Amino acid sequence: MIVRNTLHRPVRTAITVIAVAVEVTLVIMVVGLTSGLLVDTAKRTEGIGADVMVQPPSASIFMAFSGAPMPMAIGGKLQQLEYVQAVAPVLVQFNSVNGLDLVYGIQPESFRAVSGGFVLHEGRELQDANDILIDDVYARAKKVKLGQKLHILEHDFHVAGIVEHGKGARLFVLMSTLQEMSGAHDKASVFFIKSDRTDHTPAVMDSVRMLLPRYEVRALKDFISLMTSSNLPGLAAFINVMIGIAVAIGFLVIFLSMYTTIIERTREIGVLKSLGASKGYIVEIILSETALLCLAGVAAGIGLSYLTRLILLKVFPSLPILITVKWMFLAGLIAGAGGLLGASYPAWLASRKDPVEALAYE
Amino acid sequence: MDDLSTTAPAPSETPAAAGRVPTIRVENVYKTYDLGEIQVRALRGISLDIYPGEFVAIMGASGSGKSTLMNILGCLDRPTKGRYLLDGKDVSGLTKRELAKIRSQRIGFVFQQFNLLSRTSALENVELPTIYAGVPMQERTRRAKEALDRVGLADRAGHFPSQLSGGQQQRVAIARGLVNNPSLLLADEPTGNLDSRTSVEIMGILQKLNDEHGLTVVIVTHEHDIAQYAKRAIEFRDGRIRNDVLIQNRLIAEEVLPTLPAPDEGLIDALGNGASAPPNGSATQKK
Repeated sequence: MIVRNTLHRPVRTAITVIAVAVEVTLVIMVVGLTSGLLVDTAKRTEGIGADVMVQPPSASIFMAFSGAPMPMAIGGKLQQLEYVQAVAPVLVQFNSVNGLDLVYGIQPESFRAVSGGFVLHEGRELQDANDILIDDVYARAKKVKLGQKLHILEHDFHVAGIVEHGKGARLFVLMSTLQEMSGAHDKASVFFIKSDRTDHTPAVMDSVRMLLPRYEVRALKDFISLMTSSNLPGLAAFINVMIGIAVAIGFLVIFLSMYTTIIERTREIGVLKSLGASKGYIVEIILSETALLCLAGVAAGIGLSYLTRLILLKVFPSLPILITVKWMFLAGLIAGAGGLLGASYPAWLASRKDPVEALAYE
Repeated sequence: MDDLSTTAPAPSETPAAAGRVPTIRVENVYKTYDLGEIQVRALRGISLDIYPGEFVAIMGASGSGKSTLMNILGCLDRPTKGRYLLDGKDVSGLTKRELAKIRSQRIGFVFQQFNLLSRTSALENVELPTIYAGVPMQERTRRAKEALDRVGLADRAGHFPSQLSGGQQQRVAIARGLVNNPSLLLADEPTGNLDSRTSVEIMGILQKLNDEHGLTVVIVTHEHDIAQYAKRAIEFRDGRIRNDVLIQNRLIAEEVLPTLPAPDEGLIDALGNGASAPPNGSATQKK
C-alpha cells in the first residue's frame, strides 16, 4: 500500500525523489571535493618521500598559506643534525590561472636526494630559469605538451619535462626563479628532511625541535590524518553551510509534498480513522511513505554523485573527488532525518484529523 | 412514516428485549454544535435501545439528526450530554484512542460512497480493520477472504475498486465491515449511490447477515422502500425521534430480486439460494 500510495502521484513522487537525490549529491560532492583535494594534497606531499617536514612557527599544514618566511640557512643547520640523510627546501606558491594548483620551487639536487627523483615520462629535468616540470595528470587535464609555453604566475615557462604525479605539487620550477618572482630571496616555505633510517625519524624530529623550538615539525606519515577540513580555516564552516542548505532543500520539498498529500487524502484518512486506525498508525503511514521516498532519493543521489564525478573528471581530469562509503551513509542519514523531520508536521496534522469532518471532506 | 406498513409497539417492550442487554442503549443524548455565534442542536434528548439481532432503519429528512446519531453510535463522535452504552458499557466519556479501539473491534461501517481505498485491492481493503485490531498477518488474510466469500466476491479479491461495479464495491465495503466479527454493523445510506436492483442486492446481503448470523444492523436511509427491508424503523425530525415502530410486512430481498431485470450472478451466489421469481413478479412481503 505504501508503494502504491507513493506511485499514485508519479510526478510529485519523482520531484520529491529528485530533491532528496540533489540533497544527497550536494552533500556527497561538497565533502567529496574538499576531502578529495585535501587527501590528494596529503598523498602527494607524503609521496615526496621525506620523513619530516619543518615549517615556520604557527604555520598551517597547508603550505601555500604560509608564505616563505624561513631563511635558507636553516637548511644547512638541519643537514648537520644526527640521522639526517638529506634536506630539501621548497618554496610553495599558488597558481590560480586555469584552476588552482601548487607550484613548488625546488633545488633539483636536494629534492632528488629526499624524494628519489622524478620519474620522467617525457623531456628532461629542470635546467634553465624558465623551465617548468608538469606532472602527467596536469598535462592530460590541461592538454599541455612537452616544449609548449606555459603562462603561470605572470611568467612564461617552457615545459621541459612531464613527470609521474605524486611528488607534492603538479608544477615544479627552479627555486631561484620562484624566489625571484615572489620577492622571497633566500627564503623557503618548508624543509623536507629524509632521515637515514625510518626508525630514526622520532630522533630527528626531537633534534629539530631542540634546534628550532618554535617551529612546526611534523612527521610525513601523520600528514594525511592532519589534512582535515577542521585544520583549514573556514572550510568546516563552508561544508556545514552547504550541508545545511542541502538539508533545507530536502526538508522543504518533503514538507510540501507530504502536506499536499495529506490534504488530498483527507477523506482516506477519515476512512482509516473510522475503521479504527489510531493516531500512531496514521503517523506511521505518512512517515513510512516519507522513508520510502527518502530511500529512493538516497539511492538516486548516490548514483547521481557518481555520475557527477564522472562528468567532472571528464571536464576537469585533475579534480580529486573522494566519494566514501562513510559519507554516502552520512548523506543518507542526513537526508533521511531531514525528510522525516519535514514529514513530521504533516503526519501529526493527519493524525489529528477528526474522522467525521474528514469523511465529509470533498 | 405513514407509508410504512407498521404496528407500533415500543421495541423495548417486545419479547426479544426481555431480560437482554441491548447492543445499543442511548439515554437522553444531546448533541450541540457550536458554530461561533450560533449553536446547532442536532440531537435533543434521544433515548433508544437496540437489541442484539435487530435490523433497524433510521430515517429522516436532511438535518433531522439521523447522521449525527449514526456518528455517535459509531463512536466517531461523542454526545454533548447524555449516555451511550455499547454492549452495556458506557462509551460516551471515552477518549479518542479508546473510541478508535472500539471502532476497530466492535463496529463495522458501511458508507454511502463505499469509501474503499482506491489503490488497494478488494482483499487489502477488507484486511484494513484487522490491522488496526492487531490480528496476526496470516489470520488477517484468512478472515478477509472469508468475509469476501460471505458477500460473494471471493473471486474478485485481487481487483481494485476501479475494476468493480458500484454494487461490488459496496459488497467489499460490507465485507470490510464484517471482517472483525463486530457486534454491530452501521450502514450510512448504503444504497444511496446504487441503482434499484443493486440496492436490493445490498439489502439482501444485510438481511442475510442479520437473519442467518444474528448480526445487529443499523442503517440510515431516506428511502422508504429501502427501510422496508429492516425489522424496525425509527424516524427522526428536528433532532428528536418522531416514530419508532416494528415493520410488519417486511420486504425480503431474495424474493424481490428475481422480479427485477438483469440479475447479477455473483450476488445470487452470495445469497446462496438461487431464488426464483414469484409468478406475479411483485415484491413478496413477510410477516
